[in-house]
Amino acid sequence: MLRKIAFNLFAWSIVLMVAFPLFWMLVTSVKPQFELFRRPPTILPETWTFEHYWKLLSDTNFLGYFWNSVILSTTTTIVVVAIATLGAYSLVRFRYRGRESLAFLVLFTYLLPSVVLILPLYLMLVQLGLSNTITSLVIAYTTFALPYALWLLRSFMAGIPEDLESAALVDGASRLGAFWDIILPQLLPGIISTALFTFILSWNEYLYALVLVNSDDARPLTTGVMNMLISSFNIEWSLLMAASVMMSVPLIIVFAFLQSYLTRGFGAGGVKG
Amino acid sequence: MADVVLSNVNKRFGTFTAVEDLNLDIQQGEFISLLGPSGCGKTTTLRMLAGLEFPTSGEIRIGDRVVNDLPPGDRDIAMVFQSYALYPHMSVGQNIAYPLKKRRVPKTERAEMVAKTAEMLQLTPLLHRKPKELSGGQQQRVALGRALVRDPKVFLLDEPLSNLDAKLRGYMRAELIELHQRLGRTMVYVTHDQLEAMTMSDRIAVMEGGKLQQFAPPQEVYRAPANRFVASFIGTPGMNVIDGTLWQESGRWTFDAPGFSVDAGQLGPDARPGPAAMGIRPEGLTLGSGPIQAVTQLVEQTGHENITVVRLDGDLRMTGRTAPDQIWRAGEPVQFSIDARQAHFFAEGPTGKRLNRDVSKIDASTANRAPLKEATS
Repeated sequence: MLRKIAFNLFAWSIVLMVAFPLFWMLVTSVKPQFELFRRPPTILPETWTFEHYWKLLSDTNFLGYFWNSVILSTTTTIVVVAIATLGAYSLVRFRYRGRESLAFLVLFTYLLPSVVLILPLYLMLVQLGLSNTITSLVIAYTTFALPYALWLLRSFMAGIPEDLESAALVDGASRLGAFWDIILPQLLPGIISTALFTFILSWNEYLYALVLVNSDDARPLTTGVMNMLISSFNIEWSLLMAASVMMSVPLIIVFAFLQSYLTRGFGAGGVKG
Repeated sequence: MADVVLSNVNKRFGTFTAVEDLNLDIQQGEFISLLGPSGCGKTTTLRMLAGLEFPTSGEIRIGDRVVNDLPPGDRDIAMVFQSYALYPHMSVGQNIAYPLKKRRVPKTERAEMVAKTAEMLQLTPLLHRKPKELSGGQQQRVALGRALVRDPKVFLLDEPLSNLDAKLRGYMRAELIELHQRLGRTMVYVTHDQLEAMTMSDRIAVMEGGKLQQFAPPQEVYRAPANRFVASFIGTPGMNVIDGTLWQESGRWTFDAPGFSVDAGQLGPDARPGPAAMGIRPEGLTLGSGPIQAVTQLVEQTGHENITVVRLDGDLRMTGRTAPDQIWRAGEPVQFSIDARQAHFFAEGPTGKRLNRDVSKIDASTANRAPLKEATS
């Protein structure tokens, strides 16, 4: 009993530690400017205000950055999932020379620190005439999201019994038809995990966005908000917190909708071992 | 008319030979079992028939077409997998309809055919369930339904009963026999269970090490095994196989085993004096009296008979079958005799050829179920 209580206390203290900054972010974003630095600090704001949100949406380019981030993350996710799904299928189902070494080489690229790759990537993208575009970021993010996505999907793919595909072939499906009708639905939990991972990675990425994009037309939220609200003279804390809240909302929504998929129907029951 | 023909089929995976120089002629409407221990090449053979593996050399015909290069979907076959391989995200109805959908059968017709198949297999109340909500036996029936719905030329079944419990297996065995008689379709059945092969097949192809050992009706496989491997593989309890020596005197052969001799009478032209083996099924031993002295080792009472293992000098063990009231206690001495007419003699080696003269071909029409084609209409 005592053990249980101790365990619960421990778990809750960790939850609080993680949740408090988020709570503080939310609270700060709805406090008026004059209440921000009061001592002792107020836990709940005495006056609630949404002026920061309003200011952010009407006076700044926040929506422009937001839109860029949406396009950037969605495109990266689609590209990565499409390539990784087909790649994982090839690595698992086809027999060819160097299949295993190929898989390890892919993992190896993931081991390189991404900082090392910035300069070569930057130079290549400039030569391709893609500097300062969202496309350049899509390519860059794909390079480091893809290896992990490929490995993740490879293990999901390996868990799909080969008999299912054979059965589809015997039933008259083409190889592509079997992939579409049978493999993809079985792979859905894997695809959703991969998509979530890629989306979050592209949504939160800062370093590449800072180096590769230097125009407001293509800037995503991360660098955009920093650029706009932090100058050497002043940090607009309330606005920054309001922007942070709005940046987090899409991820929270996406996660809330998809997390049930992550655990649902892992192809159970169809094939008896 | 031969329906499925394999001619000189070889299959190699790298340096490993899975199937070697296989020749099979399967008649239309026949129920054929591919029987053998794990790794004997039976499943590879079936997968080559299905088009899931391609032969390294040789020719496979189904009907009047060479199908070597045809993909599985174009071969007019259906297959039931050991794992059932039901599509987990589809309902029972969708599973059964899938082969029709892939062949662009119109929707209304499709629904009719699915309903008819479900009716036949008593799956109608389950059509909207997902495979994981079914019991093993029900999943098995869905897998059968998916194969049946399209009425293919040839059915391929890969150990379809091995995941069921013993009682259900017996029931499904009878169902399959009935189904075969009703449909009159060619069926190729892979199993490692000799009971399934013996009870269901018109002919059994016994395989070992990628090679066909014998292809004959069940009774012939049992009574006149082609070689030592087939002899010891078929039968429960297994045949007693004893190593010894053959010698000949004025046209009559004698087999010397350690401790006793058996008059082998006249043997076929392949018989040579020297090392050989004798096989005798447990029912060929008469326990209770006879010239051979032994000690009872173990008695298994199954109810309708007793399986008695006896030990001879030199630790040679033999198994006999006795009536349920004939019981010896372990350690008790026992005499027995061997019915020489039931003995088989084999050349040396694990697949040594059978040497008996009377390669008594058992007439398939009397000893075995003939394919009931007329029953289909």
